[in-house]
Amino acid sequence: MAMNFHQSAIKTRFAVRFVQAMKRLNKRRGVTTTDSYKRYRATRAAACASMASAVGPQRAWSRAVLSKTKRRRFQAISRKRRLINPRRNLGFGQEEDLRGLVPGGKGMEYCSLLSETAHYIRCLQAQIQVMTDILHHSSSLN
Amino acid sequence: MGSEGSGGRVFQHRGGGGIGGTNSASDKVSGVTMCSESMFYGSNWDPIVSLSQSGNFGNSNIVSQSEFANPLMLENQAMSGSLAQFHSDSGLVDLLPRIPNFGSGSSFSEMVTSFGHNPDSLPNLQKGATQDHCPNSDSGMLGASPYGKRKREVQQGASPKSGEEEQHKDPSGDTSREDNERKQKSEKGVTRGKQAKDDRSGAEPSKDDYIHVRAKRGQARNSHSLAERVRRERISERMRLLQELVPGCNKITGKAMMLDEIINYVQSLQQQVEFLSMKLAAVNPELNMDIDRLLSKDILHLRGGNTTSLGVSPGLSSSLPFPPYSQGAFNSAPGTGPPFHSLPQQHVWNTELQGLLQMGFDPDPSGNMGRSGSSKMEL
Repeated sequence: MAMNFHQSAIKTRFAVRFVQAMKRLNKRRGVTTTDSYKRYRATRAAACASMASAVGPQRAWSRAVLSKTKRRRFQAISRKRRLINPRRNLGFGQEEDLRGLVPGGKGMEYCSLLSETAHYIRCLQAQIQVMTDILHHSSSLN
Repeated sequence: MGSEGSGGRVFQHRGGGGIGGTNSASDKVSGVTMCSESMFYGSNWDPIVSLSQSGNFGNSNIVSQSEFANPLMLENQAMSGSLAQFHSDSGLVDLLPRIPNFGSGSSFSEMVTSFGHNPDSLPNLQKGATQDHCPNSDSGMLGASPYGKRKREVQQGASPKSGEEEQHKDPSGDTSREDNERKQKSEKGVTRGKQAKDDRSGAEPSKDDYIHVRAKRGQARNSHSLAERVRRERISERMRLLQELVPGCNKITGKAMMLDEIINYVQSLQQQVEFLSMKLAAVNPELNMDIDRLLSKDILHLRGGNTTSLGVSPGLSSSLPFPPYSQGAFNSAPGTGPPFHSLPQQHVWNTELQGLLQMGFDPDPSGNMGRSGSSKMEL
């Protein structure tokens, strides 16, 4: 199945990046090792960033996440785009919620929002699988 | 043409506010209507296009935001509102006659001209409104003649923008003309088809960048609802895709409930990620992630790692609050073999992993062919 193919490719890419990020995180002696909350935040950020990086700039949501982490040029661009093309919000509540959930969803058309959501869901599923794998690996090793 | 130029400028200037408002009020059907990006007059055309699509959403709003509502696209009632708007805004009166100049194929100009062509004054518009909903012959003929007129006016048009606008507007105007003609057909019969064809043949040559949608029998055929229809089809297609992704959505029909399900699912997935990252953050400092593990993980992933959905391994005493979604997600991701049950998976996993790392493995016969397969590969 095409989706499976896509899934495993994404999973490997994400796994590599995430593990690298976690290693880096571990090596950072200091706050990150002592403050568990900060470590959690850093881990979560690493997870999201590695996922977005694994996907690449081809999807709008990954671009949004990457711009959040990189925070420089992309923000200006995305902000500009939002000004030029504000999207209609039906205001029934659901569409807004979805836009709030999917990164970068605020500036999209409804149609593209739906396809971005589909891709985002698939990537989230892959991410969860990988992270559970890692968790089990590390736990079993203990 | 100095006035035209100034009119255009004014147009643009005012359009800035209008665009923002209207755009926020509409989704664009790029294929059928003009593109959403700024065209002529700094994307002042957007409101027209979006008006056609957002006709459902309270024309008055849009009219108030846009300065030059396209009366044809709006409902009849809205038209009076829009005309009132026109009246109030003197600048618009200048603009309206100008618009046909800019692009022969523009939907707006087409509409406007079809009203009794060349709305040099608002009364014409009003007349045209009724005309439009009346016998086809008028519109049919107008379809042909205004086109010629428009072409002439285009040349008269001073601004260099008109060239671009023409290109942009041509396709949309073409379709809208066809739509109008089809609508006429539905009202009057087959004979109109010839007229429509003539009009079409007289239409501009550039139809390439355009998605021509055939109106089906019995379906609304004006450009407004055609655009809506295309958009709705696209949306329902995407919703179907999403329905496949989200577990347990097969029985649910209806956009609203589907959306709810999707939103809940996305939220739960995100929560899972957060939970997992919390766990990993807690576990991490005690362990060192190394390449071996990475490799094994890769292989496991390629084997379609169906992870345990029920919970964490006994080592971590926690209850993962995985909602039923997760089970669905995990089990539905087809690995190489049949979907595994979660509990036995867990077991085999731990043993397998330990085996992997110790360069020995216990092939667990209880159904985890994938895993044992992978472990064999590892060695």
